Amino acid sequence: MDRGAFVLANRLVGNEDGAAGLEMTLKGPGLEVRRDAVLAATGAEMGLTINMREAPVWTAVRVRAGDVVAFRAATAGCRGYLAVAGGLDVPTMLGSCATYLRGRLGGVGGRALQKGDVLAVRLARPDGVPPPERAVPPERRPRYPAEVECRVVLGPQADHFTEEGIRAFVEGPYEVTPQADRMGYRLKGPVIEHARGHDIISDGIPLGGIQVPGEGQPIVLLVDRQTTGGYTKIATVIGPDIARIGQTRPGQRIRFRKVTVEQAHAALAEEVRRLDEATPH
Amino acid sequence: MSLYAAPRLLPAGDAAVSVELADEISREANARVLTLERLLLDGRVPGIVETLPTFRALLVTYDPLVLSWERLRAVVDALAPRLARAPAPPGRHLELPCAYGGEYGPDLEEVARRLGLAPADVIRLHASADHYVYFIGFTPGLPYMSGQPLELTIPRLDRPRTKTPAGSVGIGGTQTSIYSVESPGGFWVLGRTPLKLYDPGAADPILLRAGDHVRFRPIDGTEFRAIAQAVAAGAYRPRVDALESP
Repeated sequence: MDRGAFVLANRLVGNEDGAAGLEMTLKGPGLEVRRDAVLAATGAEMGLTINMREAPVWTAVRVRAGDVVAFRAATAGCRGYLAVAGGLDVPTMLGSCATYLRGRLGGVGGRALQKGDVLAVRLARPDGVPPPERAVPPERRPRYPAEVECRVVLGPQADHFTEEGIRAFVEGPYEVTPQADRMGYRLKGPVIEHARGHDIISDGIPLGGIQVPGEGQPIVLLVDRQTTGGYTKIATVIGPDIARIGQTRPGQRIRFRKVTVEQAHAALAEEVRRLDEATPH
Repeated sequence: MSLYAAPRLLPAGDAAVSVELADEISREANARVLTLERLLLDGRVPGIVETLPTFRALLVTYDPLVLSWERLRAVVDALAPRLARAPAPPGRHLELPCAYGGEYGPDLEEVARRLGLAPADVIRLHASADHYVYFIGFTPGLPYMSGQPLELTIPRLDRPRTKTPAGSVGIGGTQTSIYSVESPGGFWVLGRTPLKLYDPGAADPILLRAGDHVRFRPIDGTEFRAIAQAVAAGAYRPRVDALESP
């Protein structure tokens, strides 16, 4: 849900950007280390303790067999990430090592982790593990404000809405409702008016696609979304800003800002640069 | 309702575009979508990440740092003249066993009553049809099919079920679908197939493909249980006929 924080956790421990790690929503697990390892915690502010002692986040830290690693409930942000040098040893399915709960796919039996699970770690490349204490500079760590702004490209079905409907949508703000997970976020705010019907011939749903069903409230579809659907999509959240939604929780507010496809591509290039600059060498 | 003279490229964010080829649900529109997908994949255009065909549109996910919007548009425009002439990509013919009625098809009686048919006629009409798979979507492996006789046209359930077992074969509108995982749904359930449309443990987890043709073979409860056992043991393969030649 926050690709940038996930990628930086991997880079801190010398992994490929897509190596398997943990995503922790609002709270994290307590983990007993079975084998010496290097790990890094990034994302939502949920601390990191090793044997009850505070350890640095956004930093590669060494842990020893027998250590207990734990997190507290997130005080800002919603998704924390934990990467281990070498990456978690989970199967690659349909080209991904992500867990997809609704399809019971990937990860550990396609389910959320449970007490007692043992996570295997792949051997890190001999030259791969960087020295511990490498850190993302504090000024390059993201902040998680109470109200977030997300850039959107209008379409694919913006022409199904009235001018007032589009204006209501970009003026907002919209509040995150409790119906918010990796599949999608239902939002609540100004009603978005359709010009002609809210149903379309079912088509594909892109990452960040914003569906508006008949009652005029938007649903942002995220990483575990259904692949197709028959509701009008007013706009699409741009890739670099998916994380801003992923880091919000129910009750927080989102404002949408309209950008062109060209501006969105420039923002993506900027995001790649931002991550490279945040990566310690 | 028509086929467009030229593709409409609708932006779907910074990394996807919906290429619309028609504003109708038809085999012709779908054949163009599947042809465009095949041509794009055959062309191995650098920067195309994923393609997702539906009734009348192809969602193309791309990496804008590799493939610019202008370049993508040029690639699609160059392929457009070939879509109208191209034959539909070859599809497979599959026979899926289906236990109609009873515990497997709780809505069969009510569907028959509403349509003014005998339950046996509903089964006969449904099982005699060539169901064409327009695309796979919604949940993993779920086919959007049509081709059933118009006598079976029925509005969807007024109140969708919260749970429909995997394998349930349902009708709604002019369509048939098969629930690939247990999920909510608004289709009338006529029966159930013991086959797995989605098997996360299998090397190829998705049974059906866009462009396939499906025929249902009525079976009874005894055969259902026997096939379900064979499926669980990995010992059952559905009958698949040779590719339909274009």
